[in-house]
Amino acid sequence: MKQTAYRPHFILMITGKVVRMGLLFFFFQAVFLKVNHIGQWTYDHVLLLFATFQVVDYLMSITFQRNLSSSLPSRIRTGELDSRMVLPAHLLFFVSFEEIDMMDFFSFLPSLGFLAYVCYRMDFAFSLTQMILYTMLLVNALLFLYAILLIIATTSFWITQSSGLAVIFDNLMKIGRYPLDIFEGFWKIFFLYFLPLVLIAQMPSQALLKALSLESVLLSFVATGVFMVFALRFWRWGLTHYLSAST
Amino acid sequence: MSNLLKPLTVLKLVFIERLAYRVHFSLQVLSGILSSIIVVFLWLAVYRSAGQGIIGGYSIAEMVTYLLGGGLLNSFILTTAENPETSQSIQDGTFSSLLIQPYSPFWLWFFRDLGSKVFLLFLGCLGYLVILFFFRDYLTIWASGTHLTLFLCSVVLASLLQFFLFENLSLLSFWIENTYGIRFTMRVIMEVAGGAIVPLSFFPQILQKLFFLLPFPYLIYLPMRIYLGKIPLGEVHREMLMEVVWISVFSFLSMVLWKKGLRRYMAMGD
Repeated sequence: MKQTAYRPHFILMITGKVVRMGLLFFFFQAVFLKVNHIGQWTYDHVLLLFATFQVVDYLMSITFQRNLSSSLPSRIRTGELDSRMVLPAHLLFFVSFEEIDMMDFFSFLPSLGFLAYVCYRMDFAFSLTQMILYTMLLVNALLFLYAILLIIATTSFWITQSSGLAVIFDNLMKIGRYPLDIFEGFWKIFFLYFLPLVLIAQMPSQALLKALSLESVLLSFVATGVFMVFALRFWRWGLTHYLSAST
Repeated sequence: MSNLLKPLTVLKLVFIERLAYRVHFSLQVLSGILSSIIVVFLWLAVYRSAGQGIIGGYSIAEMVTYLLGGGLLNSFILTTAENPETSQSIQDGTFSSLLIQPYSPFWLWFFRDLGSKVFLLFLGCLGYLVILFFFRDYLTIWASGTHLTLFLCSVVLASLLQFFLFENLSLLSFWIENTYGIRFTMRVIMEVAGGAIVPLSFFPQILQKLFFLLPFPYLIYLPMRIYLGKIPLGEVHREMLMEVVWISVFSFLSMVLWKKGLRRYMAMGD
């Protein structure tokens, strides 16, 4: 309701986001007018990767992104977290999903349509197992992103610029919409093993393309599990350092 | 205060303000650099996959130079200053206090925007030095001294064009409650249609025709083509003249919106 108060603004924001997706689509088209493939990835594969990235990105921004990257750090800094702590709800759950972004929900719908278009281009040639695996890896991607954003938000207990770190991660995560094949050497290893941005869209896309081994699938879940356990422990430790600035 | 001293004071104040939030702006610079690097890596992969030295008339060195130069212009001159101050002050009523100051709010916003751009460009250049060193084998130097001079002139014009374009959108605050949506949409279009992520000649013909009907190609595509010597020197003046025409159109529109808006303005807030 709050977001629709300025209706022209609301509509223009959604339009802007849809236009951005459309222009990025044309960008990929421009690239593939000059080459047939990037590494192992064909045009359709890259479109699937891009559509998957968009879906994950929107699901994240609808649910927890703004809460963790902007609202929570601000509440920790100002001491407003006090008022959330006394509520009869699970604190982390509450602060993570306090505000659902309906604007991004409406922008999300065209990205679902885009994903459907890409699947149509590929003749929906996917088995049920592939689709189930794809969905599981999408959830896995969201959990991974949640863990990263929670780690960044938790640094607010010590530093005042965690929202800046979130902006940097937001830019860094754009790597996820390109095939990892664009990197070589050190960077490829870094984004594969140390900050596995491949989990965001590449793993789900490869699962749908039947280009993922069982080991890779299991490794994806394990990697997310490790990040999640670390994030939750870090959050609990951070809470013990909360100074409640307002009181 | 003399006429020259006023803008200098505004610029100085902007610098002091920005320095107070230096960590925030450094992170912003870092974000811009990251975005540029990602696109460069993508194009390096495209050249590798194509197995050709030249794609779409651009050698690998020209492409990397284009993307890093375009990224610098996009991140630090064009997209960082979207004239939110104009919009915000009209919406929250702080515009009233600006009206009684011995300086036109319009010029205040202009010089604050200029100060912001200069500050971020300076910070950006420092950050980009590291990146330029990293990609030093892929870079190409300006075609000639004349090209460099014309490139710098076109960057100044691009900066003016961007200011007036977004100032017009911000001045719509006299009529509509929130202009962020329209500015956001314009920025999104500007980034692609301006040539920030790929030279416009790479797009399908129909899109190229559409983009060239708009003012955006003068923001990044034109300066970078001048830098790389992709336009014959004899044709540069015609392109820059068109840029000046766009600036004149938008500055005239700003004047009209400003005058009409002032008559409509109702002070809100305390």
